[in-house]
Amino acid sequence: MRCFIGIDLGSTTTKAVVIDENQNILGRGITNSRSNYDTAAAIAKQEALVNSRFHLFRQALGQTGALNGALDGFLGQLERDFRAEQYAEQLVDLGDTCRRSLATAHFGDASKAVGEALDEVFRRLQVDAPAQFAPGAKRKSDFFRDIAGSQYLAAGEAVAKEAGIRYDFLLNLFDRSIIEVENRVYGDSIKRHLLAALERAFIALPETASRRAQVEAPIKGILDTEMEETYTVGTGYGRARLPFSKEHIRSEILCHGLGAHVMYPGTATVLDIGGQDTKAIQVDPTGIVESFQMNDRCAAGCGRYLGYIADEMNMGLHELGPLAMQSTKTIRINSTCTVFAGAELRDRLALGDKREDIMAGLHRAIILRAMSILARSGGIRDQFTFTGGVAKNEAAVKSLKELIAENYGELTLNINPDSIYTGALGGATFAWRAVVEEGKSAEAR
Amino acid sequence: MTHTIGIDIGSGAVKSVLFRLEDGKEPQWLAKRCERIRRRDPMTLAREGYDAVMAEAGLAANDVDYTATTGEGENVKFATGHFYSMTTHARGGVFLQPGISAVVDVGALNGRAIYVDERGKVLAYKMTSQCASGSGQFLENIARYLGVAVEEIGELSKSSTNPEKVSSICAVLAETDVINMVSRGIATPDILKGIHLSMASRIVKLLKVTGIKTGTALVTGGLALDAGLMAAICEEMVNEKVTVTANSHVDSIYAGAIGAALWGGYRHRKLQELEERAAA
Repeated sequence: MRCFIGIDLGSTTTKAVVIDENQNILGRGITNSRSNYDTAAAIAKQEALVNSRFHLFRQALGQTGALNGALDGFLGQLERDFRAEQYAEQLVDLGDTCRRSLATAHFGDASKAVGEALDEVFRRLQVDAPAQFAPGAKRKSDFFRDIAGSQYLAAGEAVAKEAGIRYDFLLNLFDRSIIEVENRVYGDSIKRHLLAALERAFIALPETASRRAQVEAPIKGILDTEMEETYTVGTGYGRARLPFSKEHIRSEILCHGLGAHVMYPGTATVLDIGGQDTKAIQVDPTGIVESFQMNDRCAAGCGRYLGYIADEMNMGLHELGPLAMQSTKTIRINSTCTVFAGAELRDRLALGDKREDIMAGLHRAIILRAMSILARSGGIRDQFTFTGGVAKNEAAVKSLKELIAENYGELTLNINPDSIYTGALGGATFAWRAVVEEGKSAEAR
Repeated sequence: MTHTIGIDIGSGAVKSVLFRLEDGKEPQWLAKRCERIRRRDPMTLAREGYDAVMAEAGLAANDVDYTATTGEGENVKFATGHFYSMTTHARGGVFLQPGISAVVDVGALNGRAIYVDERGKVLAYKMTSQCASGSGQFLENIARYLGVAVEEIGELSKSSTNPEKVSSICAVLAETDVINMVSRGIATPDILKGIHLSMASRIVKLLKVTGIKTGTALVTGGLALDAGLMAAICEEMVNEKVTVTANSHVDSIYAGAIGAALWGGYRHRKLQELEERAAA
C-alpha cells in the first residue's frame, strides 16, 4: 500500500507520521534525537511504520471479530511484549558495548573491579527488565536511553557502593556506550520481535490461544503487506541533515502551520513550544503561513527549560505539570536563564517554599516568554492552536488560558493530544499533496 | 590562639577549611574538604564539611571560635557569620598567592573578576549574570555529552590542533550544538578547546573591564584546575592585549572558604576587642 511520510527532526525528539492515500493517519513514531540525525529519522520512521502495522492489526482483527471484546487487551499485551523483546536485544547490545568501552578506558588498577561491577549491573538489569514492561508499569519515558539509563544509574550506584569502586567509572562507561547503542537501527529484527511477541501474548493470555488460527492469519497477512514509502517530507531543526533531496524538505514553520490546519481547519494562530525553540505562527484559511516569530538558541521559554528543571528535581518531565497543578500560590521566578532558574529553584526549596508553588512559577515563566513572542507575531486570533510537547503539560496550558483571558478575552483554544506530531503531520500532508495533487515522484538525494 | 572555619557553598561544590590564627604568626591551614553537591542538600554537606575539618584537625566544637560562611551559605544555621563572595575570594586568593593583583573566580554558575590590592582589599569587580553560557556547569554538561571524564578535559583540550570556534551558546542547548559538531566530524579535543577559548574570552573581558593594567591574576574556583582552560585564558590575554599573567594554585578551589575563615578570624578579634573595651 502507498504510504506518505512526514518526519519532523526536532532537537529533543524526532517524530514521524504515516498517512494513507485518503489522508488517514496510519501511525505515529517518536524517538529521541540524541543519536545522529540520519539514525533518528530512520528510527522514527520505523517506529511509525510499526505503529501503522498495529493500527492495521486492529482494523483487520476488528473486522474478523476473532477477539470480540478482548481486542484491546490482546493488542496491548502484544505491544508490551514487542517492546520487551526490543529492550532485551538493546540491553545485550549495551552490555557488550560497555565491556568494549571498558577495554579502552583508563581506569588503571580499578579496571578489573569495574569489569566485575559492570557484569553485576547488567545481571541486575536483566532481572529487572520484565518488570519494566508489565501491565501498568510506570516508566519515565519509552526511550531505551531513559529506561536503561535510569535502571543503570540506580543499579550502578548500589553496585559501586557494594564493590567499593568509583561510581563515576560506571557512569563514564554508560555515557560512552549509550550513544553507540542508540545509533543502531535494529531494522531487521522488527518482524522477528513481532512474531516472538505474538507467541508470548498467546502464552500470557491463554484464552486467546484457542482462537490462534483466526488471530494469526490477519496479523501475518499484514506483516507480509509491503508498506511502500511513496513520498517522504522532512522538516524540523535538523532537516538540513536529513538524507533527502531538497524537494523533500520543508521548513518547520510551513509544516507546523499546515499540520495545525489539518488538525483544526479553523486555526488562525499557532503557538508551538518545542524542545529548543518557541514559534508563534499566523496562518491563512488554507493553512499557509502569513507571518511568524520565534525564539532561538536560548533554552529559556522552550520545552528544554522544563526538561532541565525535571532533571534538577530528579523527576520525569510528565510529572512536572501535575505537581504544579497542586499549587495554591504561584511563586515568581526572577531568573531568565534556565541554569539560573535551576539554581533559584534549589534556593527556593532550601528556603522552605513548596515544590508545587515553585513549579507553578516556572510554568508561568515559560508561558510569559511565549506571550511576548505571540504579541510580536501579531497577537492571538481566533482560533488559537497550541502544539508541541509543552501543550501536553496541563500546568502550562492553565497558565496560558489565564494569560489569554487577561490579554485577548474569550476565544477557542485547540489542543490535540497528539500535537507533538503537528510538524510531522504537516510534512506528511505536503508529501501527499506532492504526489496526489502535483503528480511528483520521489527524488534521490 | 583562634580557630576559625570557613565554608564556601557554591553551586557545584561545598568547600570547608579550618585555620589556626595566632598573633604575630602566619595563619596556619589545618584541614580542608571539598564535596561535590550532585543534587544533594548543600546544608547537609556544609554540616558534614564542618564535622570533617574538625575531625581532621582533631578539634571539638567548642575549640572553634568562629564559623564563617560565604557563597550561598546565608542560611547555614550553625554559622557565626556570613561574608560576601567578592571579599572572601579576594582575601583567599591573596593568601594562596601573595602579591597578586586580581582574582578571577570561575565557578559552576558564575564567573567574576576581582581587582585587589596587596592586602586583598577589593578595588573593582565584575561578574557574569543572567546567562550560564560559558560557566563550569556548562563545560561539565558538554563533557558528559562527549563522554569525557571531567579530569580528562584539560589534557584533551591542550592536544587540540584546530579548535572549533563557538560563539556563546546556551548552556542548556549546548547538547544539540555538540551533537552537530560531532556529526560534522569534529574531533573531541577541538570541540573542547573551542569551548575553552569561548569561556576564556568571556573571562578575560571581565578582567579587562575591572581596569587592571598589569600584574598577576590568580584563577580560583573549580575550573582553575582545568589545564585546558588555563592555557586558553593565557592565549586570550595575548589576543585581548591584556598584559596580565594568569596562573592557578592547586588549592584554588578553596579560595572562597579560606577567605571566609580569615575574615571570620578578623571579625572575631574585633568582637573580642569590643567586649574587652566594654568590660573595662
